[in-house]
Amino acid sequence: MSPSGKTSNKLAKVNGEICGICQACATVCPKNAIDVFEHYIVILPDKCNGCGTCTKVCPVEAIELVER
Amino acid sequence: MSSDNHIIIVGGGPAGSATALAARREGAEVTIVDRKTHVGIPVQCGEAIGKTGPGIAEIEIPEESIRVPIRGFRVYSPALISVDFAEKEPSGYIIDRRVFDKELLARAAESGSDVLLGAKVIDLTRTKGLVDGVVVRHNGARKKIKAKVVIGADGVNSEIARLTGLRRSFKPADIDSCFGYEMVNCDLEFPDLMEFLLGSNLCPRGYIWIFPKGEGRANVGIGIGGGFGVYTAQQYLDNFLKNNEIAKRQLARAKIVECRVGALPVCGPNEQNVVDGALLVGDAAGHVHPITGGGMGYAMVCGSIAGQVAAQCVAKGDVSAARLQEYETRWRKRYGDEFAQSLKLRDLLIETEDETLDKLAKIVTGDSVVKLAAARKIKIFAKAVATRDRKLITLMRELRKLKMV
Ligand SMILES: Cc1cc2nc3c(=O)[nH]c(=O)nc-3n(C[C@H](O)[C@H](O)[C@H](O)COP(=O)(O)OP(=O)(O)OC[C@H]3O[C@@H](n4cnc5c(N)ncnc54)[C@H](O)[C@@H]3O)c2cc1C
Ligand code: SF4
Ligand code: SF4
Repeated sequence: MSPSGKTSNKLAKVNGEICGICQACATVCPKNAIDVFEHYIVILPDKCNGCGTCTKVCPVEAIELVER
Repeated sequence: MSSDNHIIIVGGGPAGSATALAARREGAEVTIVDRKTHVGIPVQCGEAIGKTGPGIAEIEIPEESIRVPIRGFRVYSPALISVDFAEKEPSGYIIDRRVFDKELLARAAESGSDVLLGAKVIDLTRTKGLVDGVVVRHNGARKKIKAKVVIGADGVNSEIARLTGLRRSFKPADIDSCFGYEMVNCDLEFPDLMEFLLGSNLCPRGYIWIFPKGEGRANVGIGIGGGFGVYTAQQYLDNFLKNNEIAKRQLARAKIVECRVGALPVCGPNEQNVVDGALLVGDAAGHVHPITGGGMGYAMVCGSIAGQVAAQCVAKGDVSAARLQEYETRWRKRYGDEFAQSLKLRDLLIETEDETLDKLAKIVTGDSVVKLAAARKIKIFAKAVATRDRKLITLMRELRKLKMV
């Protein structure tokens, strides 16, 4: 564990130009780290643990893991 | 609003609007809260709705949303052997969800419901454990709204499901990752049939759909099981359009005029959808057919039950889970078995190899399978048994339970 309490030094990042706000990523996020609004989604870095589950369900490759 | 018969409905989709109408009929004060300013947009749907089936006849499909009547569907096995499930008369419609969702919300408002748009529910309020309101973020400010009952009709990513503890996150396999196009210049062979294609390489744990919309237009989409594919849903669909014989035959000239994404809960309903002072309905409750992915009809029928029961509980002054449970009991009576059996068939299909599906299609192909004469049904089953293919026979048994063959 890193000092911030995260299990990984990765973080999910969304590409707003591709994302269609289907919410698939948010429904599977075990940390409830994805906040969905009408026109965009937001990854909450304090909650995201970099597990990558969200990247497995995106229909358009709009979400990926990046280094923190 | 602070009246003592106030119900808050979170979500102004088909589930929320149907719930509101039913609750108004019982005399409750209703507020629909939606985080969107335009419900129904973007469209994330194939837009097919049945007009037959348990309960569906009771719901009103707004006439102005209907695009074309549909007589049934045709399924293509992986080797493209077709099986038709079609009737002589229309059994459903392809609708326009932009019009559909908006019209349902308009009718709910005209029945006396208040509608608060652009308001995102971020929390629940409770007194002695009983849910008694919501916290919304609206115009940049937080605001509490009190209610006797809170109804979560807030879709697949339901905040109310999380806040009540009725469902936490889904596993990837619990959902379908969906992608679709609306297309024009389609040369559809059957403008009044929906088409479905199956195949483990074509669309892992899912299907591709072609739904006619009239005048050479169609919704063409795909749903794949979360975590099942090696590519994204969009990549699988593009591959289909480029390489599959059915697409080449019907969609070679087609042009894309809209892209759609979506997520579908296909793991069956939540175990429980009621707590003290709150309940869930529609996608939030998992009211989606695990195989077809259809959800609008279930959302509206279950919504009608939810609105009625919630309003009656409010009127009697008892909104405990024990009283609201009547809703759970009533919708399960209608759809519980259907969902459970379909889930079983779905799981069986996951383990079924493409060759078995082709074998099955070969046996059943021919006349439309709906309302087959008993003698023909027996003949089909006998043929399946004669193959001595265990998997095929089990599959056929499950299909018979669902009265599909
Ligand atoms: C690609 C795809 C194809 C489909 N095809 C079909 C089909 O052909 N036929 C069919 O019957 N079904 C289909 N479905 C399923 C169908 O779309 C759903 O079952 C249906 O929309 C469920 O209605 P609902 O009212 O429960 O939820 P929704 O329609 O999702 O409405 C939920 C509402 O809640 C609002 N909301 C969410 N969170 C909050 C919050 N925190 N605060 C305030 N408001 C909130 C949203 O803005 C939204 O307006 C398809 C689904 C997908 C993804
Ligand atoms: S990486 Fe894991 S925790 Fe972070 S947003 Fe994706 S699913 Fe959630
Ligand atoms: S799954 Fe992909 S398209 Fe859907 S909301 Fe998440 S990032 Fe956007």
